[in-house]
Amino acid sequence: MESISRRAFLGRGVLAGTVAATAAIAKPAKAFAAPATGQTKATFIDLTKCAGCGACVTACRTKNTNRYPDPVDDIPVNWPTDGFEDWQEQRDDTDKLTPYNWIYVEQLEVDGVSVNIPRRCMHCDNPPCANLCPFGVQEKTAEGAVVIDHSGCMGGAKCRDVCAWGIPQRQAGVGLYLNVLPGIMGGGVMYKCDMCADRLAAGGVPACVEACPSGAVTFGDQEEMRALARARTEEIGGHLYGDAENGGTSTFYVSPVAFDRIDTALSRKRIALSKKNRTGVPHMKPNVGNRLDTANDMALGMALGPVVGVAAAAIAAAKIVKGDDAE
Amino acid sequence: MSPRPAKKRTVARQDLGNRIAHWLIALSTFALIFSGFGQMPMYARYGVTDLPGMAWSGDFGITLIVHYAASIGLITGIAFHIVYALRLRRFDILPRRGDVKESVQIIGAMLGRGEEPPSHKYLAEQRLAYAFIGANLLLVTATGVVKVVKNLPGVLLPGPVLFWTTMLHNVAAMLLVLGVLAHLAAFLVKANRPLLPAMFTGRVREEYARKRHPLWFDAEDGPRLELLPQPTERRRRPRPDGTQRKTAG
Repeated sequence: MESISRRAFLGRGVLAGTVAATAAIAKPAKAFAAPATGQTKATFIDLTKCAGCGACVTACRTKNTNRYPDPVDDIPVNWPTDGFEDWQEQRDDTDKLTPYNWIYVEQLEVDGVSVNIPRRCMHCDNPPCANLCPFGVQEKTAEGAVVIDHSGCMGGAKCRDVCAWGIPQRQAGVGLYLNVLPGIMGGGVMYKCDMCADRLAAGGVPACVEACPSGAVTFGDQEEMRALARARTEEIGGHLYGDAENGGTSTFYVSPVAFDRIDTALSRKRIALSKKNRTGVPHMKPNVGNRLDTANDMALGMALGPVVGVAAAAIAAAKIVKGDDAE
Repeated sequence: MSPRPAKKRTVARQDLGNRIAHWLIALSTFALIFSGFGQMPMYARYGVTDLPGMAWSGDFGITLIVHYAASIGLITGIAFHIVYALRLRRFDILPRRGDVKESVQIIGAMLGRGEEPPSHKYLAEQRLAYAFIGANLLLVTATGVVKVVKNLPGVLLPGPVLFWTTMLHNVAAMLLVLGVLAHLAAFLVKANRPLLPAMFTGRVREEYARKRHPLWFDAEDGPRLELLPQPTERRRRPRPDGTQRKTAG
């Protein structure tokens, strides 16, 4: 009897724990994403004010020029493919994201309206790129910046594949893989905007924000920026992007034109580009989902696994012990 | 009916609980290894996705879900195994002092050098293999749980924690692959093959148990008990009252 009541007690305890865990996991992402410290930063980009001057691009390139890849002359071919990703000859291109250009201004005509959209890493609240890096060399800092450690990156480009927008870009012939098994494993280093994490750590703002002459870009605490963006959206009867997308981001775009129309225009543009140049021209699909959503829903099952295993073992073992005692 | 010839008589070695735990852990581990390699960006690069029916293997979303699903099986199996062994006080697979030396002797005997020492239920090398595979499974599971928590919205880990968790997970997984390969390779050795049925039917040949595992066979609770005259004629199927299970495991 005693063992049964103890088991029942244990069972109830586990059930209570499981319910609590379920409730915690089932909470909407927003509740988790809200910065407890108020330190998480974000950018509010008002597309009604962006003139497409490219000052942000120039500022970014100037600030980061020393961090751009400097590949070896003889880049190894990635076996068993017959190529590698090399952007050196397009290092001056500023009309897309490349390892040598971490922000660009998308210029589109949508339903007769000109829109200029500075594009770069969205710095997601729950970034699949950083979470799924197979070598653990991408992190999201306390300020919300998603940062790649160039010295540890093997250039497998998984971050680009799992990014909702395919933001990180790869340059071959540089990085750790050259010292491991060049040509056999890895393929270079991934590059993207890091929200000027060094400037943030020193209490500053990103170079692109500082450079904007038209007041289109505002930088500050994430919740403040969200509130500003939502208010502006309401004010102009416009559209908001980056608030819900990929489970929430640190970049809020407010546009007078609907984002599905913008995305359609972007798709048309991409189709006309060569295959190589289609990378680094991110879409703007509204409500794009997070690659981790399904997996995170399964985390509850992982919490239940030990409960089931322990209970089954206790019952099975008890039967055997009982059988022995009966003899 | 004539009694079964002594050569074909079998004794119980692994009960149902052990076999279920073994196969749940084994199959989950295979799925985890395959999907884990899929999480390294390699199937698309090395052409696995070009194999018929394997295009899905290059999709990180799919291999991640497979990895999560299989990990549920692994964690369930490990939890079952630990509680089952503790509750039944079965510790005969844990390494003992002198196991390394004894393993060398056993391998030497397989190569025709010297006599193989008499074994308990498990060979010294089996106990070492268990510890090696078990330790790596625990390490890969513990770091895996950290990685799962880290993937949840709102959970941020400091860079060094993220790096070392990932590194330990990868290294433990690689060691685990080596352990599993060695475990499988053990059956290339003919002397070990009589052990194979233990994980399927739960039984091994009596003759094998008697010769190679005398310290188990002749133990107080060893399978010799099974062979004592029974009130009724022995049948191949376990009796419904489960008394045969007493000697299993």
